[in-house]
Amino acid sequence: MSKKIVIDPLTRIEGHLKFSTTVQDSIITDAKCSAQLFRGIEKAMIGYDARTANQITQRICGTCNYAHAEAAALALEDAMKIKPNKNGYLLRNLITGAYQIHDYLFHFYLMSVFDFIDINSILSYKGDDTNLLKLKKWVEQEQKSDKIFPMTPFLQHFKSIYQKDKDLNFFSIKNYLEAYDIMLKLDKAVAIFGGKSPHPVTIEAGGVTTTPTVLMIQNYKLLIEEAENFVKNQYLPNIISISKKYKDYFKIGQGYTNYLSAPYFPDENGENKLFVGGFVSNFKYENINIAKIYEDIKYSYYKEDLTPIDYETFKKEQIKNNGKYSWSKAPRYDGKVVEVGPVARLITTYLSNKRPKINVFIDKINKELDIDFKDYNSVMGRHLSRAIISCIIIDKLKEDLKKVQPEVSAYEDYEVPANIKGIGLTEATRGPLLHTIETDNQGMIKDYNVISPTTWNISPRDEKKTPGAVEKMLIGTKIEDEKNPIELARIVRSTDPCMACSVH
Amino acid sequence: MTRREVLKQIYNVILGIGASSFFTFEDLLALENTNFEKPNLLWIQGASCSGCTLSMTDLEDIPFVDFILNFVNIIYHPNISLTNSEDINELLIKTKNKLKNNYMLVVEGSIPVKLPHACLFNDRPFVDWIIDLSKNSYVNIGVGTCAAFGGVTNMGGDFSNASSLMEVLDKNNIKTPLINLPNCPIKPEHFAYTILYYIKFKKFPPLDSFKRPKKFFSKSIHQTCIHYNEFKEDIFATKIGEPGCLLELGCQGPITKSDCMIRGHNGNTNNCIRAGHPCIGCASEHFPRQIMFRSYYDERVIKPLKEIYFEKK
Repeated sequence: MSKKIVIDPLTRIEGHLKFSTTVQDSIITDAKCSAQLFRGIEKAMIGYDARTANQITQRICGTCNYAHAEAAALALEDAMKIKPNKNGYLLRNLITGAYQIHDYLFHFYLMSVFDFIDINSILSYKGDDTNLLKLKKWVEQEQKSDKIFPMTPFLQHFKSIYQKDKDLNFFSIKNYLEAYDIMLKLDKAVAIFGGKSPHPVTIEAGGVTTTPTVLMIQNYKLLIEEAENFVKNQYLPNIISISKKYKDYFKIGQGYTNYLSAPYFPDENGENKLFVGGFVSNFKYENINIAKIYEDIKYSYYKEDLTPIDYETFKKEQIKNNGKYSWSKAPRYDGKVVEVGPVARLITTYLSNKRPKINVFIDKINKELDIDFKDYNSVMGRHLSRAIISCIIIDKLKEDLKKVQPEVSAYEDYEVPANIKGIGLTEATRGPLLHTIETDNQGMIKDYNVISPTTWNISPRDEKKTPGAVEKMLIGTKIEDEKNPIELARIVRSTDPCMACSVH
Repeated sequence: MTRREVLKQIYNVILGIGASSFFTFEDLLALENTNFEKPNLLWIQGASCSGCTLSMTDLEDIPFVDFILNFVNIIYHPNISLTNSEDINELLIKTKNKLKNNYMLVVEGSIPVKLPHACLFNDRPFVDWIIDLSKNSYVNIGVGTCAAFGGVTNMGGDFSNASSLMEVLDKNNIKTPLINLPNCPIKPEHFAYTILYYIKFKKFPPLDSFKRPKKFFSKSIHQTCIHYNEFKEDIFATKIGEPGCLLELGCQGPITKSDCMIRGHNGNTNNCIRAGHPCIGCASEHFPRQIMFRSYYDERVIKPLKEIYFEKK
């Protein structure tokens, strides 16, 4: 007999996500992901000055704001046919790179780690780490209290078998507590050149408005070194040790093997992107071609003219058998559903064979874990990729920092011409981000379009009824206990959905 | 670190936000020893981007974990709590009924009114949740510019008619006290201060007509700006990087009230103007404006948004 499992909302992700699944004999036979928030920011920007785009679009998302700012700046630069100077490119890298690492830590420690480890194990902690002892005392007090909701924020709803290895639990909880401090420092690093973080203001078409000083470079260096220490000695080893305990999760949550990633992290001339980007289908590499991207709205809450449907129509669609079910559109690449994100970024770079150093690093980790590239198509593969990327980015940030020329402006001033069109493509924390802009004869926005990473992953079905990327990962999954579908939460969280981006 | 050192740190943040006149270090020690009642906090997100939550985790002098575990009692937070659908329904309804007048409702993001289905929470329009929950709380706190004024979710061509918390409460005649903490994203010190003030005094700090704490929002960015003297002397920058007031490059400082120039961002690491960029007015009720950062020679006469959208209809 089939049964429905609905999770609405899924917490510990960014934003409003509902997913409903059908289970038959403990196997998921059908899955639907619904994005539950619509703001309509891209069309609401019509009539605003072209230069407001980088400030407004970065407020689409609180977790990958820097990427929207960069994509908007790139779109304008493309339209104006200009390029920032060396410092401009370098400072942008320093802002976006630091923020990406912040994002990966935020995703793993704040959102995902308690899917695997057991917070209650802290009660048996006997060491002398002040933070852990403090938390232990807190957990004891909470358990004794007569509160209606004890133990939030750590309350574990799904009763499941969590990690039993005490040392791994303690190590992970210790890292969880320390991750807050490292994220704070990474945000400071972003703010040094970005003005503030989240929502750095300084990324503009033409460069970055900050003029770097020796002091800034020095401060940035200190902060990044602390982050490096954490990422290389705690984050990556933590993921590797969790991976070893959950080997089965290298087979769970498998999606389509189509990957899309945008070139990202240029050198000081805006060329030779560190992560090569591209399209991979069945482990064959191709260059990316923007013309092959389109969006389908068959199952999205929009009319033909892309305006949202009204409340009455919405209610009708809800009861329909095959009705619209998500605010997210369904982008496709050459007609194919693709997965984007950290795995896509690594696989495209690896298969392009253009970055031998990165390939060596990945091979080493694969050997240690006894996995190969096909295993990255999984829950653990996604978590592992993020840690690997963080290590690669940290090294690159340190190199770039040395190239920054103090007291040289990173910004050049340009007038924005009227009647222009431009495309900006970059790779955000969660995958490729595309902005297109068109302005009228006054230089005001006439049309603006954003295709963001999570839209690809969380997309609903398309005209051909092909399920979206995350939907596909859920279908076929075996659920041990239907009342506690921890497998589903682990799969969805592993893709790091950012719902605010996906619909914007 | 010993407990005393932790408290010393906390005391420093309180000094930092200029509250020394009513908190002494001894006060805090006393507070710690008297086992004060932690306020219950229910944090929900409407049309938001989670930016304010991320900003909250950057709370510096009191480590954020310390704040959420030892100073408040978090009932629910979408990015921090581990709960799911059945729980959440039960949790919110229990909160509403059993903790009547005993919880703070914190709202991040705006509230779509015209398109109720534009923001759904457990398959129920978010606006309905707000009306329900805000009646039984003892205070409603709008964090961030979206909750306080609508922000980027309420621009000219907006379809969902996203409203601020204040508008929704007014329209539904809900009299629960309201506090607005604009800034995009919220400054974590503002939030921590408001809560600590309540813990100490059992009341909320003095507010202005927009329900913002006067302590942070009584002066404009312009009045407190590092370039204010240059403005007085008529020295204006004509491009980024030049010395002088940034007004001619579209600075929104004069219409924006906040304490960015005094307390900075990210533990005073930097602020927008120090980073060479004109203020974009993210804490202002006018944010975002049609033209913000612009070139010195920009003399366009702009059609107001109302006209553009009137023509379209």
